Amino acid sequence: MKLSENEIRKITYETIEELGTNVSQEVIKEAVKKKVESLNNFPLKHTNENSGKVILTSFGLNKPGIVAAITTALGNFNCDIQDLSQRIIGDFFTIIMIIDISTSQKDLKEIQEEMRKTAEQLNIKIYLQHEDVFRFMHRI
Amino acid sequence: MNYEFTEILETIRMTEIEHFDIRTVTLGISLRDCHDRNLEITKEKIYDKILRYGKNHVKNAKEVESQFGISIANKRVSVTPISIPFDSLSVEEYIEISKTLDKAAEDIGIDYIAGFSALVQKGMTNGERELIKAIPFALSQTKRVCSSVNIGSTKAGINMDAINMMSEVIKKTAELTKEKDSIGCAKLVVFANAVEDNPFVAGAFHGVTEPEVVLNVGISGPGVVLDAIREAGKVDLQTLSEVIKKTIFKITRAGELIGRKVAEKNGVPFGIVDISLAPTPAEGDSIAEILKAMGVEDVGAPGTTAALAMLNDSVKKAGLMASSSVGGMSGAFIPVSEDMGMIRAVQAGNLSLEKLEAMTSVCSVGLDMIAIPGDTPASTIAGIIADEAAIGIINDKTTAVRIIPAYGKKVGEMVDYGGLLGLAPVMEVRTISSQNFVSRGGRIPAPMRSLTN
Repeated sequence: MKLSENEIRKITYETIEELGTNVSQEVIKEAVKKKVESLNNFPLKHTNENSGKVILTSFGLNKPGIVAAITTALGNFNCDIQDLSQRIIGDFFTIIMIIDISTSQKDLKEIQEEMRKTAEQLNIKIYLQHEDVFRFMHRI
Repeated sequence: MNYEFTEILETIRMTEIEHFDIRTVTLGISLRDCHDRNLEITKEKIYDKILRYGKNHVKNAKEVESQFGISIANKRVSVTPISIPFDSLSVEEYIEISKTLDKAAEDIGIDYIAGFSALVQKGMTNGERELIKAIPFALSQTKRVCSSVNIGSTKAGINMDAINMMSEVIKKTAELTKEKDSIGCAKLVVFANAVEDNPFVAGAFHGVTEPEVVLNVGISGPGVVLDAIREAGKVDLQTLSEVIKKTIFKITRAGELIGRKVAEKNGVPFGIVDISLAPTPAEGDSIAEILKAMGVEDVGAPGTTAALAMLNDSVKKAGLMASSSVGGMSGAFIPVSEDMGMIRAVQAGNLSLEKLEAMTSVCSVGLDMIAIPGDTPASTIAGIIADEAAIGIINDKTTAVRIIPAYGKKVGEMVDYGGLLGLAPVMEVRTISSQNFVSRGGRIPAPMRSLTN
């Protein structure tokens, strides 16, 4: 947990009140530091802190080389494909991949940008969304 | 795979095809510590504080948008009702403050900042009177500032003197912004039972019981509900209610996730999710279309109010299950100008002001974005506001009036604001007079319902 500037200020005021005004600045500084640290160590459970997993969805007109193009781009960025599923209905395909991007040196935004280019070249749609949105919407 | 194929596609369909977006992430900032004896210093304090908390608001929201693939239509800021911390100011000084707010909003890159407000349901202080007088000038001399005034509550009754003042203010605002189809009135809301954590501008303000700073989120998504209802086909009403609930559940969950992430990035506490269905002028993103899909031929047909009541109730039930931080208005909005289906219903002569009024008794929020002829007398506007306020205080709900007496325009003409404010046909208002009733002034006493202790 990261404390905001205001919270730290509040803690400082409280500490000054507790210790009185007769103590030196050093003592107050030390006491505040201790308090902030103890709060920072408090294991506050955050809402499903980033798992690093991203869901890639792609669809469009089927043609050879789509999976190759997407996976190559992902491979170049050192993204780990953890699951892959594909359906073809008539001339159209749908691909869904679960990707771990925590191994990648790039962040989600850069990967999205790269995928946008790939999608443009192949004239298909590619969406990358953080896994949390699916977890929140479909899991209680 | 952890997720079903169909689940993933459902989310993609919602965000990409059915216009599901987060309507607004609104940063509420308290200005209660910004008063100073010197007006220039007061202005500086206000500007600095808004910039301190809000400077990365837009950037952070955009990052969350791309991370989750859900767009956030509006990034906005609400502040403490200006009349409260700055009660000692005069009309001219309040106008100065509104310009400071406008500048701060511009500099952090947002389109609207709300909270040029006063809460006068029981009576008004000298400062509040000055602020209300300043509203027409503030709204005509700024671009981004929104104003609201609360004139009634279940606990206090209805302040008719304030209503009379506000109807004059609305007329004056319409006149001062006549070059732009009286757009000032689109930024001015008259409330009864206003809520303190409403994220929806123009009626938003950062209530006095709110923390230093907070982030509230308002979801949207009529398009998603519309498609779900269409897909359900001819089922009975209980089943239909289930369909609506399931859909709303999902979009509320997504809304809370987005809100929490934006709050986290801004380093401020998360407040509430407002589970209102808010339409946009985009085709299909319409409450009117939902009501039609439920079965009425057009909005305004007998049965419309019942359909809307059920829709609104289903939204609430699902929202409450989905989030433990539900707040704000939380209902369906029925603004005329922002909903293509409503506009068509008015133009076809199917939807009248009276039917809209009936509909507001079962949903949030009130007579919203309704254009009326510019020559409507102030006393008639006061009557309309009083009627809405009565619905609000008797039913213990929020109601609002955002009405535009379009300067120089007659019934059937259009006002066009573009963007999210949309366009509205000027609607017919009854010409029989309310004058002798509203001019009595004073206060309608608080209803029976106020005595709950």
